[in-house]
Amino acid sequence: MTFARGVGRFYPVDSPLHALDPRAKVVATAVFVVGLFFVDSIAGFLAAGAVTAGLVAASRVPPGAFLGLLRPVLFIVALTFLFQVFFTRDGTTLFAWGFLQVHEGGLRLGVLLAARILILVSAAGLLTATTAPVALADGMEDLLSPLKRLRFPAHEVAMMMTIALRFIPTLGEEAEKISRAQAARGADFDGGGLVRRARSLVPLLVPLTVGAFRRADELAEAMESRGYRGGVGRVRYRELRFRARDAAALLLTVLAVAGAALL
Amino acid sequence: MRIDLEGVGHVYGRGTPFAVEALKDVSLGVEPGEVLGVIGGTGSGKSTLVQHLNLLLVPTSGRVLVDGEDAVSLKRSELRRRVGLVFQSPEQALFAPTVEEDVAFAPRRLGLGEEEVKGRVREALGLLGAGHLAARSPFALSGGEKRRVAIAGVLAMGPEVLVLDEPTAGLDPHARSDLIGLVGRLKASGMTVVLVSHDLDEVAEVAERVCLLEGGSVRSVGLPADVFYGESSLAPATVRVVAALGGAFPEVGRPVCYRETLAALGRVMGARP
Repeated sequence: MTFARGVGRFYPVDSPLHALDPRAKVVATAVFVVGLFFVDSIAGFLAAGAVTAGLVAASRVPPGAFLGLLRPVLFIVALTFLFQVFFTRDGTTLFAWGFLQVHEGGLRLGVLLAARILILVSAAGLLTATTAPVALADGMEDLLSPLKRLRFPAHEVAMMMTIALRFIPTLGEEAEKISRAQAARGADFDGGGLVRRARSLVPLLVPLTVGAFRRADELAEAMESRGYRGGVGRVRYRELRFRARDAAALLLTVLAVAGAALL
Repeated sequence: MRIDLEGVGHVYGRGTPFAVEALKDVSLGVEPGEVLGVIGGTGSGKSTLVQHLNLLLVPTSGRVLVDGEDAVSLKRSELRRRVGLVFQSPEQALFAPTVEEDVAFAPRRLGLGEEEVKGRVREALGLLGAGHLAARSPFALSGGEKRRVAIAGVLAMGPEVLVLDEPTAGLDPHARSDLIGLVGRLKASGMTVVLVSHDLDEVAEVAERVCLLEGGSVRSVGLPADVFYGESSLAPATVRVVAALGGAFPEVGRPVCYRETLAALGRVMGARP
């Protein structure tokens, strides 16, 4: 069994995108994603797609590894596309075969929606691929810190995010290890119908849950014994610095998405 | 049963940027009825190696032969019954509400009758001196007790070869000597045992042959006395000298033994050892 491999994974290489301030990248991604919903022409999506492709190239993440990230959403994309194509009755009829009719409007809508989902996922993937989880959490903490005045626990939320991200691979490894240990005792996680399969997961899920709680206990104790007591008065080992290039990247993103929306 | 690894290599995550070569060209035989010790530092490939014995990991190169037959062609479930593998910290895989049911998991999966399953559970727990724990919850036991229950869970399959991966790690001296005693008893009953350990003393105590892994390759294999004499009398500095000599004198080669070290040093120094 393979758990959570590749999806949303940080890809540690050196590139101009990796070097950007995480806050700039988070805001730029948010602007880009929201902006995508205002894009409604083929030309606009071509432009947005070209920008995304250019950024992927600039990130030095191998295109193959990046496409692997898109694989899980391809099914949704295909489904969305087919729904729009066959169920939108708008514009001239391009094709008709019994109850199956393809209209010009449907085809257009299908292409636009598919492009929107693909570009959206690519943009989000680009953020996680080029930003180390810790940097991402630091960035989020800073962006959320204005809410501290409203007693929003920005540091605690960021810490929880960091810990959750940190432990995804650990849990994956543990699941892999336990499933092998049970396979050595004759467990089979793939065979049988739905009920049998769900039941066969018990020997995996019970130890995994028990282990996760044990790990959480240990981590809490380790943090307390090292004097952790929340964000008050806490300083960072790595300070974030918002440089001119970060401002430039943000500005370029806003311009690009505004341009795509106007096309 | 006899297991032979022929030039077995294993690469984790092959074809990804995260690929790690954990085993390189390992050839090793596990003889019927013997106790084979597998030693080596952390990351030397011990755990990867033993998972090839029941094909939980399939070699990325080379072959695993069971009684001369390629193990890939054998029925996987049957192979896993015959080669019982106890993982590191096996107590982490306990899951059932009672000890009895947990130990019964493997024999039930074999499709045995309820009477037979009960008999096997009793026998396996008895072998580990854990019969009195049968009705308890496995999560309420001490570390040592959990370990014994988990090992019983594998023994209940009735394996011909028992592979123990660091079975004594984290146990107190008493539990440790109990476990080593168990290995002796299993051997006496004709079972083949593969014992992976960091503790050279316990390996020296029960193993008839020892395999020393280093960086995913077999560095030395043979009688414990030979392997240990060669290795333990080599201070780390001497090991480095020998490694350096390896370049200048390919005939020094491996395995590295104390005698060979002296001989090689003698040749370099121009004097007889």
